[in-house]
Amino acid sequence: MNPGGVGPPTMRPKLGGTPWLVLQLVLAGSLLLLFLLPIYALFTYAPLSKIVEAFSDPGVDAALGLTFYASAITVLIAVVFAIPLGYLLARRRFPGRSVVEAIVALPVVIPHLLVGLGLFILLLPGSPAYRFTSWLGVPVYDTIWGVVLVMAFVSAPYTVLASDLSFRAVDDRVLEAARSLGAGPATAFLTVSFPLALRGIVAGLLLSWARAVSEIGGILILAYTVYPGGPYNGPVTSTISVFVYNLFQAGNLQGAAAVSSVFLVIAFALFLAVRLGERSGWVPWRRGDLLP
Amino acid sequence: MSAWTVEGLETSVDHFHLGPVDLELAPGRVVGVLGASGAGKTTLLRALAGFLGLSAGRIRRDGRDIAHLPPERRGLGYVPQGLGLFAHRTAERNVSYPLEVRGRTDARARAQELLERFGLSRLAHRYPARLSGGEAQRVALARALAAEPELIVWDEPSQSLDVEARHDLALVVQELKQAERVPVVFVTHDPGLAFATADDFLVLHDGRVQLHGDAGELLAQPPDPFAARFVGFDNVFDRDSLSSAGPGSLGDWLLARAGPAGVAFSRIPIGAAEGPWDGVVHGVRPTPEGFAVTVKVDTLWIELRLPTSYAGPAIAPGQHLRFAIRPESLRALGPWTPPP
Repeated sequence: MNPGGVGPPTMRPKLGGTPWLVLQLVLAGSLLLLFLLPIYALFTYAPLSKIVEAFSDPGVDAALGLTFYASAITVLIAVVFAIPLGYLLARRRFPGRSVVEAIVALPVVIPHLLVGLGLFILLLPGSPAYRFTSWLGVPVYDTIWGVVLVMAFVSAPYTVLASDLSFRAVDDRVLEAARSLGAGPATAFLTVSFPLALRGIVAGLLLSWARAVSEIGGILILAYTVYPGGPYNGPVTSTISVFVYNLFQAGNLQGAAAVSSVFLVIAFALFLAVRLGERSGWVPWRRGDLLP
Repeated sequence: MSAWTVEGLETSVDHFHLGPVDLELAPGRVVGVLGASGAGKTTLLRALAGFLGLSAGRIRRDGRDIAHLPPERRGLGYVPQGLGLFAHRTAERNVSYPLEVRGRTDARARAQELLERFGLSRLAHRYPARLSGGEAQRVALARALAAEPELIVWDEPSQSLDVEARHDLALVVQELKQAERVPVVFVTHDPGLAFATADDFLVLHDGRVQLHGDAGELLAQPPDPFAARFVGFDNVFDRDSLSSAGPGSLGDWLLARAGPAGVAFSRIPIGAAEGPWDGVVHGVRPTPEGFAVTVKVDTLWIELRLPTSYAGPAIAPGQHLRFAIRPESLRALGPWTPPP
């Protein structure tokens, strides 16, 4: 029976007439403009010559270098600590699991200035945490470690959540097939679970990285100025966000816009490289092949 | 090829209990596991494959108990429901997988051989997402055979296959049985595949074995309504559906002849057009043998059969038909008792 009416079924339900379509376009277009206009404003405010100049400015280079270096360490930390936690949440049932999930979501919801403040108080000289970091030989105030600590706090949840979802999406029956075909638990993880989840995990790492490089709130408190030490032996500088903030505070709006443009170009280039890599097939998965 | 013996296998998942199950699997023997949804079919296969621990019983391979071994060391090929193909590997690399994890250097060559044998060579570099149901099925089987299993455990081989692919699958299983002599246990809802390939049947209901016998035994005494429908009876009634009938009704007459689980009978030929029962025609549809006529008698739906040669007056919905049921055509449904 076809209670919906007579005639052959159409492939797609009709979404409505022209007014409805116009409304959708207006709403979608407004949001896209909100995304694009500020970026356009940044790129066009400073003359091109200023942007080119900023590219070769040693001060800008130092700030960019520190930011990318610290964010790379942060991504490494996410790989080592966040992916296993995501796997644990996806594949194990244990008491207090939902509490752990709530804790993981915490950094996403609390204001980042408070993150910096919390870390600052936690690590006040004389505190157990301070003694522990001193014992490890990783001082945090105004060092790259401070930057990394804040970045990891605010960005690692994205990798945990993406890994959790990606591992959860791997069908148990596929793993059982692998086991029955002769793979032990570790081999099944490395040859089946991990490759199948990889695409989602990489997306999570990219988000983590993007979140890390854009952080400012916590860094303002914990590592406003970064002095050489530990793995960082460059000049005294600050992360790029703090650098731009300083230019803005000093009334140098053109300089701030120029440095921001440089940063945006590099960030876009990185995202583009990953996307192109995915299309060209050098990544170990193929578009659209992860779902049956 | 090994001989397998399952003795008193019992296992539990959450509040579901399966067993005890006994099975004999000589080389080349194929066992079809039947039962309604939730009967414990997949649970049985997962217990055999080592994904569920046993609460009692043994699984012996050539006399040696292997129930304590992990799945990868049992020497059986488990093909789960949905096949479990690896979406990130091509057909060829799916098939070579069991050889790769064993560190075999001839993994690729052997995979190519198997693909050729199953007529899949031209699909070697396709990913599973781009295979048809039948092709994916053959890749899964080739992959299971690449592991050189001593037993194949297969959950719903014909699920989501079209009619043609089901027919091909039956031929593949028959060939497997003869050429490889590897015993097979499979779960199925497909009577065509079951009767074409299985030597023995295991019927499960609510975790308990209702019947373990060959096709003849299954046809002679279907243990429950599910099995009766599976083997092809068109009229199947459990006791509950008959018990509300009043004295002298068809329901009452059937109840008097039903077994503990109900009663079943094939479509009744009409032609003599006479009998004690009166039904109202609800539908007429063509079948290879002629027409199937559905009539309602009190609360019961009965299927009648009209041969192609029928030349009487036209039969239309709303019309009354009289018919008779020969008592010897009835099958009482009930638990099967193992032969002594």
